[in-house]
Amino acid sequence: MNAQIDRHDTDILILGSGGAGLFAALHAQQSAPAGTKITLAVKGLIGKCGCTRMVQGGYNVALGGGDTVERHFMDTINGGKWLPDQDMAWRLCETAVERIHELENEVGCFFDRNHDGSLHQKAFAGQTADRTVHKGDLTGIEIINRLMEQVLSRPVERLQEHRAIALVPSRDGEGLAGVLMIDMRTGSFRMVRAKAVLMATGGGPTMYRYHTPSGDKTMDGLSMALRAGLPLRDMEMVQFHPTGLLAGDDTRMTGTVLEEGLRGAGGILLNGDGERFMFGYDERGERATRDIVSRAIYDEMRKGNTTPQGGVHIAMSHLGPENVAQKFAGMVKRCADCGFDLAGGLVEVVPTAHYFMGGVVVDTDTRTALPGLYVAGEDAGGAHGANRLGGNGVANSTVYGGIAGDVMGRDIALQTSLRDPDETVIEAEVARAMHPAGRSQSGQVQGDIHALRRELQNVMWDDVGVIRTKTGMTGALAKLDAIEDELMQTGIAGGSLAFNLTWHDWLNMRSLVEISRVITHAGIARENSRGAHYREDHPDVGELAKSYFTKVRMQDASLEVTREPVRFTIVSPGQTILPDGEPETLVAAE
Amino acid sequence: MPDEQRSGATRDGTDNANGTLAVYVWRGDGTGGGEQRFDVPRQDSQTVLDVVTWIQQQADASLTYRFACRVGMCGSCAMMVNDEPRWTCRTHVERVARNGELHIAPLRNLPVIKDLVTDMDPFFDKWVKAEAIHHPSAGRDDEFAAVTPDDPERIEASAGIECINCAICYAACDTVAGNPDYLGPAALQRAWTLYNDSRDDGGDAILDAVSRSGGCHSCHSMGSCSHYCPNDLDPMGAIAGLKRATAKRFFGGGRG
Repeated sequence: MNAQIDRHDTDILILGSGGAGLFAALHAQQSAPAGTKITLAVKGLIGKCGCTRMVQGGYNVALGGGDTVERHFMDTINGGKWLPDQDMAWRLCETAVERIHELENEVGCFFDRNHDGSLHQKAFAGQTADRTVHKGDLTGIEIINRLMEQVLSRPVERLQEHRAIALVPSRDGEGLAGVLMIDMRTGSFRMVRAKAVLMATGGGPTMYRYHTPSGDKTMDGLSMALRAGLPLRDMEMVQFHPTGLLAGDDTRMTGTVLEEGLRGAGGILLNGDGERFMFGYDERGERATRDIVSRAIYDEMRKGNTTPQGGVHIAMSHLGPENVAQKFAGMVKRCADCGFDLAGGLVEVVPTAHYFMGGVVVDTDTRTALPGLYVAGEDAGGAHGANRLGGNGVANSTVYGGIAGDVMGRDIALQTSLRDPDETVIEAEVARAMHPAGRSQSGQVQGDIHALRRELQNVMWDDVGVIRTKTGMTGALAKLDAIEDELMQTGIAGGSLAFNLTWHDWLNMRSLVEISRVITHAGIARENSRGAHYREDHPDVGELAKSYFTKVRMQDASLEVTREPVRFTIVSPGQTILPDGEPETLVAAE
Repeated sequence: MPDEQRSGATRDGTDNANGTLAVYVWRGDGTGGGEQRFDVPRQDSQTVLDVVTWIQQQADASLTYRFACRVGMCGSCAMMVNDEPRWTCRTHVERVARNGELHIAPLRNLPVIKDLVTDMDPFFDKWVKAEAIHHPSAGRDDEFAAVTPDDPERIEASAGIECINCAICYAACDTVAGNPDYLGPAALQRAWTLYNDSRDDGGDAILDAVSRSGGCHSCHSMGSCSHYCPNDLDPMGAIAGLKRATAKRFFGGGRG
């Protein structure tokens, strides 16, 4: 198949338009030499796809009143079960202070205020201070809308509905030459060369039966990084949110988040027998942390104590339906639009794959092992370790996206020319992408890509999900191989490749299977239970002082899995950097 | 969901459990097209987005549509459903099916790319043209502005702040349909929000932008924008505010 490839050049190329990508565009413009061309490429529409927009809770930042960067840092390390890269976590907490001022004062976000006009902050689970800045429970919309306006009003080239499919190294292998993409609207290939590339496509664990991320997110970034030979860390760490909407297999509503605040406000969980079960698992009941509640619900499901669709119920009505409808107006309306009565009835829920802590190994300047490639946001690993605190996700993407923009803007001043791409990689990647199209030309389309995706989601949910065992995960590896074999036999119909969603469904599957395998290998390698990763056959936390993180890379088409000791560069287990006599928490007891 | 809604007759009289839906989907591109019929099995929990998804996955792999968040936050999946603009991810089939039929078409007033997907760039170009972008009066090294939430100006600014730029109002607007230069309700509402934001330094630039040809004075106050806004916002009220502010400036009253 001779695919035509359009050739396109820029100076700075940014993949993704969430908090990281948009901030990088703004900062690159501020820091790069005059005349620098900046290009923003995104799988959907600018500001609309991706997950920053879906942030409900808010933005963690220490803004005084007793709270400090040190305290934010300690909460992040404790929450991450001592696995975070401490220098990354520190820079996250430290820079969040500047970034939130930038968001309010320069970008134009308006965050909720106290009556005296100061910023309102609240405490999420795992925080020892009222730290989360927010705009109601729609913080992400405010952040992304304002960032999007700023970017759209600047001379940034836009490549919308462009799917990145490969990081293409230079001919001499010394660095990254650019990114091979598919212009989804025309179905044609486009090779974009750039002096610096930020990958900020967002992780998004959508290979699970129940998942929260937007439909466009399918691990394409990590899959590209893996094939480019980059090391990925913490890949076993998939955060599950305990309460995803359960509305059947035939609706895209299933898996979407019912907010954490429902349980915080007194919402209760009932199993299929109509009994409250959370106190059997944790003395805090429904207010236990995300990982504990997720495991408890999953356990009820394994025991068969389930509701008609196979989950559990959340009930709010005992708090007074009118009160609930007022306090959680957005969530109640969303449920009502979809046919559920959250305020007065029962809604079925299930744990749902939410956030991916794992990612590309980067330094605190977002640089990677591949010169010319920078990674930020959910695609980057290290800041969260075994668990991401609510409110640290958008802080991470905006902090490191901005840093990436600053660093790329400076670095390209030293990079005088574009690198020559390795044409053999382009050829191989085009062939890889065109594989299913070739299969449909014989007339009869084979296989069912959608059935196959369900199969993948079932395998990952059952064997590499909320509760894991070595036996289960080893079995999953064989099943993943079989799914990949079948995928390679599956073609796509639809004739033209122009805006052919089914072709992209196939490509999505290819990325998801590839990264599912990495998650599974990393899960087998971690023989203890930390944060989001729970091994039924290794339920112990392990010795904190000997904490290790997993690292996976592809070498000669096979995966190499290693464990690396966590470097306690700032604080060691059992210690704190808070001054003597500091209270454990500043949050007033309820 | 209560049991009585789970089974039995739906509002439009078809059998919910076993029924099928006759779905007429617009197929085509910028050069033209027409409706194509698909018979889609009904489900208890089924949105219009689920209907187009079913068609693409089970009936015609070449159907093109757009969605992202699935929960009414991104504003990517808006389409014309029975001639009315709607978020398809949040529109339950039961609420819109008429006699077991649905008509689904790309969003009005925007160029079609393919099938149900439109080019939203003109909508966002007008957003920029309306000066609907924060004009900073402070920088990252400055303190946050003290803004009391019950300040009347702030209440006016906050009224439209939850707009997700889904372009439903833009599709609903007959003035947009008749005047391609008209900035449209969403962009003007954002401009009004900024005009009332005490932190925004662009009051005059905003009024200049919205008083040009195609600005707020083109609005005929028909109110489709406020009627169809899925977030219950009131762009028409915001546009009326801009009309007052521009008139007041014209007559020398300055900023109100």
